[in-house]
Amino acid sequence: MVQVSTNEFKIGMKVEIDRDPYLIVGNDFVKPGKGQPFNRTKLKHLISGRVIERTFKSGERIDLADIEESKMRLLYREPESVVFMNDVTFDQLTVPKSLLANKEQWLMEETLYSIIFYKGQPISVEPPTFLEMNIVETTPGLRGDSSGRVLKPAKTETGAIVQVPLFIEEGEKIKVDTRDGSYVGRV
Amino acid sequence: MTAPTSDASNILEKRAQFFEKVRRFFKNRSVLEVDCPALCASPSIDAHIDVMEVLLIDGQRAYLHPSPEYGMKRLLCAYGKDIYQMSHVFRDNENGPLHKPEFTLVEWYRCNMPFSFFIEETLNFIRLFLGKQKAIILTYREALMRYARIDPFHASPQELYSSMQEGLSPEAALWDKETLLQLLFSIHVEPHLKELTVVIDYPKEQAALSRVSMKEGIEVAERFEVYYKGIELANGYHELADAKEQRARLCKENEKRIALGKSSFPLDEGFLHALEQGLPDCCGVAAGFDRLLMLHLGGARLEKGIGHAHGHGRGHEREELF
Repeated sequence: MVQVSTNEFKIGMKVEIDRDPYLIVGNDFVKPGKGQPFNRTKLKHLISGRVIERTFKSGERIDLADIEESKMRLLYREPESVVFMNDVTFDQLTVPKSLLANKEQWLMEETLYSIIFYKGQPISVEPPTFLEMNIVETTPGLRGDSSGRVLKPAKTETGAIVQVPLFIEEGEKIKVDTRDGSYVGRV
Repeated sequence: MTAPTSDASNILEKRAQFFEKVRRFFKNRSVLEVDCPALCASPSIDAHIDVMEVLLIDGQRAYLHPSPEYGMKRLLCAYGKDIYQMSHVFRDNENGPLHKPEFTLVEWYRCNMPFSFFIEETLNFIRLFLGKQKAIILTYREALMRYARIDPFHASPQELYSSMQEGLSPEAALWDKETLLQLLFSIHVEPHLKELTVVIDYPKEQAALSRVSMKEGIEVAERFEVYYKGIELANGYHELADAKEQRARLCKENEKRIALGKSSFPLDEGFLHALEQGLPDCCGVAAGFDRLLMLHLGGARLEKGIGHAHGHGRGHEREELF
């Protein structure tokens, strides 16, 4: 297993702790007087998303997590799973829907996703930051209101509910930020 | 060459102003400025301070001082005068918003001055930067009882571990009491020391180079630290003068270094010999100039007190590494 010293810790590094993969999301160096220095880290569990705090003696070495990422295109969906394909190797991968959690609303065919593997097993599916989607259901817009300041709910082709400006109509295509589900603009 | 941003040039001007203020502070008190060399043949020995090694062209090894302490003490032994030094010091493996591998330290020694007077002088020095501030004095024990509800002198390592268990690995249960106390202090006490605070009466295990005396039946170090906004600003001692005890402590630090998987160093015999000739009864303190300036300028990262002129001798693009 490849190891890393606390001195090399960086935000974004993926490490293995108690046999689980974590992402370093915070790293503070503290040193009391002439005493023992410590690294106080915040770690996000790569599967559950839970954030924990962990303090290390500076200079301690810990394992890097065996994490790989690959871009795969969504082929089709099955009742309990989703099938992706690697554009280069044509390898296919079936991902159970249980791994998707609330990301199921961002699944679109023919779109490229980042699949994260831990020890060779897929652990999460990351959608592109921005997606263009059709509106399939929303209340009729008010003519004349083009300020965009007042919002209403709208349902997209994937079933996601997005708050859009009043002037957006059914059948229109919009751009959505998948990180927070917010409306970015009309396409 | 690009013109410095107004912020960076402001920092430069403030640094220069405060260099002057510091010199005036000591001149008014008849403390002599000295400049002990930064490049030393023998390093100082601290378990947790990593000295930078320099390889000279003739193959000899030398070390950049992590503080001018040994050199200044040799001068004290030889001349017995009050002295101060303002210098760049070097400590490897120290990187963070409040730590840089190179920083500016103001260190001074006063002979035959009572410890409490010396603490007051240190506070007045700090007030040069922070303005008029009342100071609170807390013993190490009071600070831990107040903020962590733990008595540092009587708690077992197990109790210390349990009080922080959530953020620690199971292996931390095997850390020694000193390590656990230092962690507890830095995460549960330091952040609360927002007002100007002096912490005194450290456990004797944390004496470093200070004298140890009995207080209420417990051996405590005659050491103090000054905090403001949760940041450590100065570390002072009633200096240990006993050459034998000094030698024993250096050997102990070397043993700790070996236990930590670090290299041990030969003792600085010149320094020990000077102590044998007699170090005057004196107090000494080292204060972080860059942190003080940072606080004066209202910053929370050391860059605010250092400015771009001190990019650790590296280009801008690498600065964010530190």
